[in-house]
Formats: sequence, structure tokens, C-alpha cells
Amino acid sequence: MLPDVLPDSGDRRLTGARPSPSFNDAMSKPAPRATEAPTLDLVLKRNSIERLKREKSPLGILDELPALIAAGYEDVPEEDIVRLKWWGLYHDKPKIGTFMLRVKIPGGVLQPDQLRAIGEISNTYGRGEGELTTRQNVQLHYLELGALPDVFDRLHAAGLTSAGACGDTVRNITGCPVAGLAHDELFDPTPVLEEAAAFFYGNPDYSDLPRKHKIAITACADACAAPEINCVALVGAIRDGEEGFGVLVGGGLSSVPRVARDLGIWVPKAEAVTVLAAILDEWREDLRYRVSRVKARLKFMVDDLGPEGIRQRVERRLDRRFDDFTLPALPRPSNHLGVHEEWVGVPVHLGLITGDQLIGLAELGHEVRITRQQNLVLVGNADVDALAQLGLPVDAGELRGDAIACTGEPHCNFSVTETKSRMDGLVRLLEDRFPRGSLDGLRLHLDGCPHACAQHWVGDLGFQGTTVRDDEGKRRQAYDVYLRGSLDRPAAIARPVFRRVPSDELDDAVVGLVSGWVERRGAGETFRAWCDRTTDDELAELAGREAARERRAA
Amino acid sequence: MSVELLDDLEAGELSVEFEGEEPEVVLEWAIERFSPSIAISTAFQTDGAVLLHMTYAIDPDVKLFSVDTGRLPQETYQLIEQMRERYPKLNLDLLSPDAAAVSRLVGRHGPNLFYRSVENRLLCCQVRKVLPLQRYLGGLDAWITGLRRDQWATRSDIRKVELDHDHGAIVKLNPLAEWTEDEVWDYVREHDLPVNPLYAKGFTSIGCAPCTRPTSAGEDLRAGRWWWESGAPKECGIHCAVETGGMEHELRALVGEDE
Repeated sequence: MLPDVLPDSGDRRLTGARPSPSFNDAMSKPAPRATEAPTLDLVLKRNSIERLKREKSPLGILDELPALIAAGYEDVPEEDIVRLKWWGLYHDKPKIGTFMLRVKIPGGVLQPDQLRAIGEISNTYGRGEGELTTRQNVQLHYLELGALPDVFDRLHAAGLTSAGACGDTVRNITGCPVAGLAHDELFDPTPVLEEAAAFFYGNPDYSDLPRKHKIAITACADACAAPEINCVALVGAIRDGEEGFGVLVGGGLSSVPRVARDLGIWVPKAEAVTVLAAILDEWREDLRYRVSRVKARLKFMVDDLGPEGIRQRVERRLDRRFDDFTLPALPRPSNHLGVHEEWVGVPVHLGLITGDQLIGLAELGHEVRITRQQNLVLVGNADVDALAQLGLPVDAGELRGDAIACTGEPHCNFSVTETKSRMDGLVRLLEDRFPRGSLDGLRLHLDGCPHACAQHWVGDLGFQGTTVRDDEGKRRQAYDVYLRGSLDRPAAIARPVFRRVPSDELDDAVVGLVSGWVERRGAGETFRAWCDRTTDDELAELAGREAARERRAA
Repeated sequence: MSVELLDDLEAGELSVEFEGEEPEVVLEWAIERFSPSIAISTAFQTDGAVLLHMTYAIDPDVKLFSVDTGRLPQETYQLIEQMRERYPKLNLDLLSPDAAAVSRLVGRHGPNLFYRSVENRLLCCQVRKVLPLQRYLGGLDAWITGLRRDQWATRSDIRKVELDHDHGAIVKLNPLAEWTEDEVWDYVREHDLPVNPLYAKGFTSIGCAPCTRPTSAGEDLRAGRWWWESGAPKECGIHCAVETGGMEHELRALVGEDE
């Protein structure tokens, strides 16, 4: 008998999931082979990226930049283009010579001179564009190979780095954007976050991981940093008056989404980085997770061993027992928007920000934090009028602030549809149709491909780009609509309840669904809670489309 | 009859389940699940020969399809004849480009337009290959490709089961994902499969006659295709293909949507 291909209910929680015909069919195939630890030879035979990393350390490519530039873009080996990812560089689209740069910003915290540096780099070497990301990074576009040495000089002079922003590394470590500011936070975890970033960023031992690795460290009252979808998350707690962390492991989205599970241990603040490193060490030294990049991320090790197995390994490695600790139920994660005594949270529409805006923000003189929702927090008593003059009105609305769209068109080589521009249309549509404020708390997440950079699996209303052929055979952009997922607790992975909705029919479906919620919701009932108690048939009627499992003639 | 299509959640879980499994296991499952609306894509290289051989043993009715661009080398037609002899029930769909579109293309730009610019070459690929393939995929629920992870870095993450969002979200199966070039050739030799005679002449990649040439030992594989070009998108020399969606992404960025 096969292991169930459905993720088990429990912590991974696929709300609304039920065994479907396809899963039953999948179960008729033979059981997978027992997993013996593979040899390094097998790893290198099966995994070309492992070969590429061993031939030449990707981080070392920075030293070769002058030689690559002298040779000219045309003659840069494609393998070296891959290595450039380790410095946060991806090809823009088309792949004819310009790059996206992802600047890695621990906890999303930027000082004014750093904002200015990024803005000037964008204006001088890019085309004045930039975007805030869900991992609290800033991305710039259209940088040419020849400009990169200057770009890196200016970044480094401002105390910024992109080391390990992409590639098989510890990616940007995320946290609460009001850490150290909020009255109700359990404690300020910033020193731990900074210690972790200083230890992992650019560290060669942790720059050859089986795959990317995502860490969140949060101690705000509602653990707003989405710990459930990180590979490892330290979630602040107080135990007997002591500040420390519970640990979630094995979360992650992309093509095979998982909600993280509780490791079940209490980690004192002083041992936080030791524990993070021990988990990474167990994973990176286990060759089982290097044979195939499809099963490489930590979540698959957690699938295999369970949190208990991971805990056992970590305790054996560190030769000590940790106290048992289970994280208490967490409240709904907040977005920290609006004017507060200690900060001002500003919606940034679609996360798009120009070089000029970054420089303008620098001139306001506040420390700035980038949020997971692609927005900004200004520390202190920021001038709201000045922000509005920069095109960043504080009162742009929660709906706008909570909406997330991936980079997508025109930059990304994976996206099959419009993303930010389509989200713009959806937000304006809903703002137009519903009274101001009536949709507060509704989170729209839109992605152009299954990689889920904008976390469509956990949006209240999630969208993933796809395509359909119309009657004349023309390609049309379309979206799968994901429902019943959320970062509300307990976090849940959505299912595509409506499939392949042509882009020009999407508005009606969205208005129908949102109207249903607005009209039928109980007091304070969230969109996700309402979807949970509403049947597919009812949703289908509201959306004006056939629900769920699309059928078509064979 | 109706067929329920996979969604991304299911495809993701299946792709993890199929890791470490032999290609035949994936093929058996897929044929059971999607037949008759499933077909193998081939450019008459070795991967396609392996897939055909495996599939034919499971169900000879499963279709094999390829695009006859009109500019294929004679050796490829010889191979097609050999395959027809080897597999008497071969269910081959050889697709042709739209005649009027080819006429317009050649009338406007000449028959060898591709030597003059990258845009011209992409336009030619679009009319002669991409569009016929897209049209055909529009009638399928699933297609089987010979994509392998060891072919190039951007293929290192391909899954054995994917939803093909470039092509109407039909299912794309890549049963040979884990195999290496050597394993493909070992299989070809072990089963004495017919192969394109061009391999023996030093070709490492086989496409249209005017755009493909042999490479010498040690020479970059990419020198075998569109060797005259400069300013072409990276990876497009050989690694961006309709199978990955990569070629269409570049096409849309540089040439525009369908002609």
C-alpha cells in the first residue's frame, strides 16, 4: 500500500481537501523504493546544479566580474550566469543582457542613506524602477553587466549586500516590520535577527545548501511574519518570564505547499542561531536532499522525519535536550498599516517604487522597514503630507495595502500572465464597487506562475496565472482562483476552486464572490471563514462559473 | 466521457511521489489516466526514441507527434521511415505549418530569412514550429516530453508531472527527467533503437537543416545551432524550447504574440 499522497490533515491542513479521483489513481502505482542515503556520485550524476556548485563556488563569481565584462556579455558562459544568482542577479526578460538585482535587507530595515543608495543605483544604472518583495527585499531592474562592479561598490559602501539573495542559500531573513516599536510585542527580536543574518549571509558553509532556505524571526504579538510558510521560523514567546522562541519547521509554498509544523522545543534567545544552524546542518549534510531539486527543500525532510525526527537529530547533533514547548494559538497576523504613535505604515500599491521615491523617502530622514505585504513602515512621526507628495498616501486603504502581486510581466521569465498590472485592475474594480473600508481585511494574492512568490496559496483570494486557448485557437491569459487558504490561524493552503478563468471574465467572478461575502458574512467574519462554511456550489453560483474540478470532453 | 484534469496541488504531490520512479511507471500512470487525449512530443532525437519504445510496449495506440517544419534534413525523414518499419502500428501525427502563413513569411522575408537577424529567425521558428505545435496541444489533455534535468541548469528543477501553464494548463509529463545523456544512449543501444544518422556525423542537436550543424569534440554544444547569431537571448541557442515554454516567452518579448 502506498503512503497517502494527500498531505495529512493535522498541521499541514488542506482545508477543503478531499481524496479526489486523481489521487486515487495515483495510488494504483507501485510503492516508492526505500530511501537509502545516496552516494555523492549519485548526487552529482543526477543533479547538474550540484555539479555546477562544486566546479566553482558561485559566490566567487564576483571576483571574476571584470574578466566577464572584458569578454563581453555574449561570451559569458551560461553556467556563470547561473552563478550570478548567488549575488542576487537574475536575467530580465528577454534574456539579452540586463539583470534584476535583489538587495537583501535583514528584517527589511533600511536607514536613510541606504534608501538613497538603492534609489541612486536604480536611477543611475537601471531605469529608475524598483519593487518591494514579500521577503522584505528591494529589487531593481535593467542593470547591465558592465555596471555591476560599480553597483556592488555602491551597495557595499552603504552597508548593503545581495550575497545569497538568490541561489541555494539562506535567503533574506524576515521579521516583523515594527520590531522594537510596538507596545504589545513580546520582546524585540532584532538582535537575534541581526545575529542570524551576520552569521548566515555570505557564509560559504551555508551558501551550498540543497536548495533555497527561508527563515523568519518574529516576536510581535501576532507573529505577523508568516512563520507558517517559512522553512524555519523562530516565533517569540515568554515562558516563566523568560524570553525565547518556539520553532516551526518545514513550511514553504512553490509547487508543493506545506504549512510549517511545531518542532516542539523551547529555544532560549542565546541559543537561537545555534539551533537554526543545527537544523540547517542536518539538512545540508544529508545527501537524500541533494539528489533531486524537486525534493530538496527542508519541508521534504520534515515530511520524511516529522518534527519529532528533526528534533531528535538536532538534539543529537548538539548533544543536549531542549525543553518541550508548544506554541500557543496565534491571533490573526496584522499588516501594521496606518499612523501609530511609533510608526507610520504606508501602503505601496503593487509594491512598485521608483528610484526617485526611494531618494525622496531618504530625505524624510526616517528609518524605513519593508513589510511582507510589499509596503513600507516609517519609524517615528513621519510627515504624512510629504509621503502623499511622494505618491505614497497613507490612507490608500487596507485593500490596496494587503494586495500582493509577484514581479511577473514584463520582467520575469516564468510568468505566463500579467501580474501587478492585473492586480491593479482588481484592486481598482473592488474599490469602485464597494464602499471604502468595507473590504478591509480581504487579502488578494496574485502570481503569474506556480512558484508562488506572491503566496497565492495563502491569500484569502488567491490567483495563479495560466492560459487558455479560445475558440479560434488564440492564447488568452487566464487565472486559477484559489479559495479557503489563508495566513489567518490556523494557516491553510488553498485549493483552486475555479480553474482557467479567462482574464477578461475574472472581474465578474471576483465581484460575485466578494459580494457574497459582504452580503452573507457574520459580524467580523473573515473571507476565509466565510468560504470555509460555504459550499463549492454556492461559491460557483456567486462567481457565475462552474466550480472546482473542471470537466471537458475527452 | 469526460476527463477530470489535474490541478496544481495534485500535480505537485504527484511529482514528489514519482521521484525515483522509472520512466515506465510515470508513463503507465499517465496513459491510464489520460488516454486517448495524450501524445508524445518528439523532434526525432534520442529522447523521443526512448519514450516511443517504452510507450509502444504499454499501449501502441498512444500518438507520437512532431512538427515537419518543411526544412528538416533528409536524414530525419529516413529515420521516420525506419520508425514506421520498427513499430508497425505507429500512430504518428506529423504536423505541418499553416501553408498561407509560410507563404506570407517567405514572400515577405525570403526562404532563408533566419540568417539575417535574430527576430527573423524567431519569426521563422514561430510560423514553422511553434504555432503548429500550439494548435496541436490545444486538442490534448496531456503531453509527454523528453525534457531532462541534465540538459541545462534551467531544466534542473523540472518535475515529472507538471501543469503546462504556457499551453492551456494541460498536463506535461517528463518521464526522463532524472536520466542523464549517457543513460539515454545506453537505453538506445540496449534496445537497438533507430536513431538519426546525423548523430554519427557529429551532430549533437538535431533540428531544421539550415539551422543545425555538427560540432567538433570539445566545442560548445550551442555552436551546433544558430551559430551565426549575436544578440540572441541567452539559453535560446539550444536550451530554450517550446517544451519548456522558454522559446515562447522570448518570442513574445521580442517578436510579439502569435503572428
